[in-house]
Amino acid sequence: MKRKHFLSSFIPLAASLGAVARGKTPPDDSPVVKPPYLKAGDTVGICCPAGFITTEDIQPALVKLKEWGFNARIGETVGKKDFTYGGTDDERLNDLQQMLDDKSIKAILFARGGYGGVRIIDRLNFKKFDRDPKWIIGFSDATVFHSHINEKYRVATIHSKMCNSFPSDWNTAEPAQKETIESINKCLKGERMKYLFTPNEKNKTGIAVGELVGGNLKTLESLAGSASDIHTKDKILFVEDTGEYLYSIDRMFWNLKRSGKLDKLKGLIVGGFKIKADTPGEEFGKTIEDIVLEKVAGYSYPVCFDFPVGHQKNNFALKCGAMHTLGVHLNECRLTEV
Amino acid sequence: MIIKIPPYLKKGDTIGITCPAGYMDATKAQTCITTLQSWGFDVMVGKTLGSKSKNYFSGTDEERADELQAMLDDENINAILFGRGGYGMGRIIDRLDFTKFKKKPKWVIGFSDITILHAHLYTRIKTASLHAPMAAAFNEGENEFIQSLHKAMLGKKAKYNCAAHAFNKPGNITAELVGGNLSLLAHIIGTPSDINTKNKILFIEDIGEQIYNTDRMLYQLKRSGKLENLAGLIVGGFTDMKDTERPFGKNIYEVIEEITAPYNYPVAFGFPVSHGKENYALKIGVNYTLKVSKTKTQLSEV
Repeated sequence: MKRKHFLSSFIPLAASLGAVARGKTPPDDSPVVKPPYLKAGDTVGICCPAGFITTEDIQPALVKLKEWGFNARIGETVGKKDFTYGGTDDERLNDLQQMLDDKSIKAILFARGGYGGVRIIDRLNFKKFDRDPKWIIGFSDATVFHSHINEKYRVATIHSKMCNSFPSDWNTAEPAQKETIESINKCLKGERMKYLFTPNEKNKTGIAVGELVGGNLKTLESLAGSASDIHTKDKILFVEDTGEYLYSIDRMFWNLKRSGKLDKLKGLIVGGFKIKADTPGEEFGKTIEDIVLEKVAGYSYPVCFDFPVGHQKNNFALKCGAMHTLGVHLNECRLTEV
Repeated sequence: MIIKIPPYLKKGDTIGITCPAGYMDATKAQTCITTLQSWGFDVMVGKTLGSKSKNYFSGTDEERADELQAMLDDENINAILFGRGGYGMGRIIDRLDFTKFKKKPKWVIGFSDITILHAHLYTRIKTASLHAPMAAAFNEGENEFIQSLHKAMLGKKAKYNCAAHAFNKPGNITAELVGGNLSLLAHIIGTPSDINTKNKILFIEDIGEQIYNTDRMLYQLKRSGKLENLAGLIVGGFTDMKDTERPFGKNIYEVIEEITAPYNYPVAFGFPVSHGKENYALKIGVNYTLKVSKTKTQLSEV
């Protein structure tokens, strides 16, 4: 009774402290649960929580899944179209909900990104998923799911390429393309992930151990203040983006900094940033490295650039929520799943 | 929360012009300076206007912050009118010291990128500011929107009327006005400059955004609890909107109508606050009465 009274008198105070109240709930620091890894014969569901894709465009992914020994369950949203979306909000919601709830589906591979995850996330019921977690796979707009699931359910997810990135002709595909696609299979089968990448002279060296979180920077910014907002304290954060102006990227890093997402990191991984060219005569005058280093000046954790994650061929599968070791050295950079 | 209202201006007062964000050629501010002088004000022009900067900004972060700081602190400057927006206020906001300003507040005038400063002044310093046309807009001539700024500076209470829109939701409420550029309002969520919109009239406008991105920003507002407890919503101009190759399927007003459908507060579409010529001066942090009816929208200062 007393406690109840204490709580009720405390809540309005907390609410008045923050115009920011919702994103600032105390973080759940319980360990992240990894869904069961897959074995041959397991079923992978394919659906479109955001943008539209044709049935034809998922064929290369189906071939690969079969080769890896998995069965594919093609959701109703594949081949569906509602303007930019793979079906109406209701259709996308129902397709994904069914796959989340269906025990015979062991992983859900999003067909593509685009935009739309945030329109359905609050209507999804994660009750069964929470009890019987499964791997959720995707990136870009799927950052909504990585962030939401990490924050609210403490379940690991896979940040990787989606169906639309599988090459239609495997034989002529570039090695980086093949390797990154194969990394999804390795991830799903429980291989401990290890990534070696080229040092950038602007890197800040050091070693960090922490939970890996992150994704598309624009999407992360758009989740700020919401129930899906991530806590980054003691974590290794990775970010990537595409099609943004430098000024906009600068502004997004300010959002991270000003909302307290950079000061307590264990490490920062900067992936690929495809930059939209400035208007001639109005050059922003700073590189990605300048933009990032300016924001992390004063912090001692390691920072690395050019990590192979992003809207590019070199986009390796990463286990969000899993503990990793990041080693940034002058001659070598390494990210290893613990 | 009591919001401090800075003293209104009188003839002989000084207005400082500075560029806290993007570069601006000095010639583009000339009409503004002449007009302000014709209104009986003295004008003090900062070095950031028509500076020697070679890049996007009107000066380095330090130069822009120092000049704005000096104008905030200088007791001989009675109001600050920004040359233009662009991008850059967010880079210097945490360097600014509002100690003197808090004791002797003055009107700070601008919009777009300046939304960060408006929100910051409202939330942290609890001081009203003016969301209004900036220097370049004076080149359009002394239209009713420029005149609305003049009247606002002098403390004349505004009463704005605009045509009804088919999507309007009728209602009649009085509350504090907050808002600005939607991209910036979304961007500051989670930061110390973020605004509490509960029981407020919120106004939003934007320029050059993708429709899907605007949808996402509105979802961010909704999911961070900024839409459900509004007193009212004013939807300004969304100019030069862009669409994806595969069309989004809704225009921006349809997007806003859809996301506000569950709420009962009045919503007015097409209010003249925008990056276009139609941009009435609005006092952030001041009480207004919003009347939305089938025939017209009226926003009047209390």
